[in-house]
Amino acid sequence: MEVIVRAAALLGAGVCMGIGALGPGIGQGYVAGKACEGIARSSENSALLTRTMLLGQAVAESTGIYSLVIALLLIFATG
Amino acid sequence: MSFEIGLVHIAAYLGAAVSVSFASLSAGFGEGYTAGLANFALMKQPKASDHLTRGMLVSQAVTETGAIFSLVVALLLIFGGLDGADAGIGKAAALFAGGVAMGLGSVGPGFGSGYAGGYACMALSRMPKKNNEIIGNMLIGQALAQASTIFALVVSLLLLYAIPQTAHLEINEQLLRAFSFIGAGLCIGFGTFGPGTAIGFVAGKASDMMGRYPRERANIMRTMFVGAAVTESTAIYSLVISFLLMYAM
Amino acid sequence: MNKKTFLRMLVGFIIVQAILSIWIDYTLEVGVEEEQGRFVIRNVENPMTIQERITEEFQPDEYRIEKGKPLTIYGSERLYRFFGFFSRNPNKAIYAFQLIRMIIIVDILLLVIAYLTRKKMSMIPTKLQLVFEMMYTFFEDLTRETLGKDKLHFTSYVLTIFLFIWTCNIIGIVPFPGFVEANSNINAPFGMGIMAVLVVHYMSIKHKGFFKYLKGYTEPFFPLAPINFVGEFSKGISISFRLFGNVLGGAIILLVISSLVRFIILPVGLNMFFGLFIGTLQAFVFTMLAMSYIAVEIFD
Repeated sequence: MEVIVRAAALLGAGVCMGIGALGPGIGQGYVAGKACEGIARSSENSALLTRTMLLGQAVAESTGIYSLVIALLLIFATG
Repeated sequence: MSFEIGLVHIAAYLGAAVSVSFASLSAGFGEGYTAGLANFALMKQPKASDHLTRGMLVSQAVTETGAIFSLVVALLLIFGGLDGADAGIGKAAALFAGGVAMGLGSVGPGFGSGYAGGYACMALSRMPKKNNEIIGNMLIGQALAQASTIFALVVSLLLLYAIPQTAHLEINEQLLRAFSFIGAGLCIGFGTFGPGTAIGFVAGKASDMMGRYPRERANIMRTMFVGAAVTESTAIYSLVISFLLMYAM
Repeated sequence: MNKKTFLRMLVGFIIVQAILSIWIDYTLEVGVEEEQGRFVIRNVENPMTIQERITEEFQPDEYRIEKGKPLTIYGSERLYRFFGFFSRNPNKAIYAFQLIRMIIIVDILLLVIAYLTRKKMSMIPTKLQLVFEMMYTFFEDLTRETLGKDKLHFTSYVLTIFLFIWTCNIIGIVPFPGFVEANSNINAPFGMGIMAVLVVHYMSIKHKGFFKYLKGYTEPFFPLAPINFVGEFSKGISISFRLFGNVLGGAIILLVISSLVRFIILPVGLNMFFGLFIGTLQAFVFTMLAMSYIAVEIFD
C-alpha cells in the first residue's frame, strides 16, 4: 500500500508541475506579446513598459511557483 | 520471449506512436496556419510573392522541427535496439515516457511557431522592403519557442538512454521508478505546452509590429527577448522537476 | 566557382564520408603494446552504443568505473584525488576537472584577448579594437535604456557576464578533444545565476533600505511571505537552468544525431546552429534578464 501511495505522489508531482506550467506560460506570453505591441506603438515609454511587463509576468508566474512548491513537497515530503 | 522483454517492446512501440502522432498534430496545424495567412497576405500584396514564399517556407521548416525530433525519437524507439540487458518494468515505463515527453512536448511549440510564421508573413506583405529584418526576427522568436522542444527532447533522450538501471531491484522499487519516469515524461510534456504556444504568440506580435513600425526594431526585439525568456521559466521548472523525478530518487 | 562544381564537390564529399563511416566503429590506437613490448599503431574495433557515448560524455567517472578503467586524470592518481576534493562525491573528479579546466581556458582566452586589444589603443581603431568598441557601445546603450543614465557603471558587469557565457558556449564548436561547453555542467550556470541574483538583492537593499526590502516580501499580504520567498529563490533556478538546459540539449542532440547519421554533414550544421546561434541567444538572454531583474528592483 505504501508503495502505491508513494508512486501516486511521484506521478502526481509530474502531472502537477506539467499542467501547472500551462496557464502561467500562456499568460506570461500574452503579457509579453502585448508589451511588444505597446512598445512599438509608444517607444518613448519603453523602459516603463518593460518594467511593467516584468512585474505582470512575475505575478502571473506565482501560480507556476505554487505548482513547483507542491511538486517539490510531493517528491521530498511524502512517504 | 519472456514477459519483461515483451513488455519493453509494447511500451516502446506505444511510445513511438504517441510521439509521432501528437507532434504531427501540432506541426500540421501550425504549418497550415502559416500557409493560410501567407495566402491572405499574398492577396493583399501580390507583388511581394517572392519574399512571402521564402518567408513561408523558412517558417514552415522551423515549425517542423518538433515533428522531426519526434520522428527521430520514434525511430530510435522502434529500431534503436533499446531492449538490451536492462529489461524490466522500469525500462518499459521509461521508454513509454520518453515517447510521451517528446510527443506532448512538441505540441505547444508547433502551434506557437505556426502563429509566429503567419504573422511574420502578414508583416512581410505590409513592408516587403524590410524582409530580412522581419524574417530574422521571426527565426529568433521561433528558436526561442523551440527551446522548450529542446527541453522535451533532452528529457526524452535521457529517459531512453541514461536512466539508472532498475532490473536488479525489488518489484516494489521497480514500480516506484516506473511511476516516477512516467511522471517525468508527463511533466515536461505538458509543461512545454503553455510556454511554447505563448512564446510563439510573442514572436508573432513582435514580427507583426516590426512590419508596422520598422524603426522600433531594437526596442521590439529587446522586449521580445526578455518577455520570451521570462515566459519560458515555467517550462524550466518542469525540466527541473523532471530531472528530480529521474535522478533524485 | 560555379554552382555545378560546388554541387559535385559536395556529393563527392558525402560519398567519401559515407564510405569512411563504415569504419566508424573502429578507433585508432597508438601506443606500446604491453605483452610484446613493442610500438604499435592499429585499428581496434570499438562498438559504442549511443548510451555509452552519452555516459562517456556526461558521466565520465561512471563510464570509467563501468568499463573497469583506472580512475586517473592524465595518468595521475594524485591529480584525481585533488580534484575529487572539489566535488562532494569523490567519484566525480573527472567531471569536476573538465569543468574547471574549461573555465580556466575561457578565462585565459579572455585575458589574452583583453591584453591584445588594450596593447595598442589608438584613435584609428584596429580591427580587434573596433569589434570590442562596438560591443561596448551596444551594451552601454542597453544599460542606459534599461537601468537609466546614473547606472552606466553597470556596463562592465553586464558585458563581463555576456562575454564569459558567450565564450563558454561557442568554445564547444572548436573541434579539439576534451573541449566541452562549460555550461553543460550545471555548476557553471548555477554559479552565474547565484551571482546575478545576489547582485539583484544587493541593489534592492541598497536602493530601498533593509526594512523596506523585507517588507517587500509581505506583499500583497503577510501570509504570502513564504511563496514570495520561493519566488525569489526560483528566479535563480530559472535563470541558470535556462542556460543549462539549452546548452546540454544541444550537446546531447549533437551526440545522438551524429551517431545516427554516422557523422555525415548534418552534425556540422547542427553544431554551428547550437554553438553559434543558440549559444549567442542564450548568453544574451541571461544578460538581459540579469539586468532587467535589477531594473525592476531599483525603479518604483
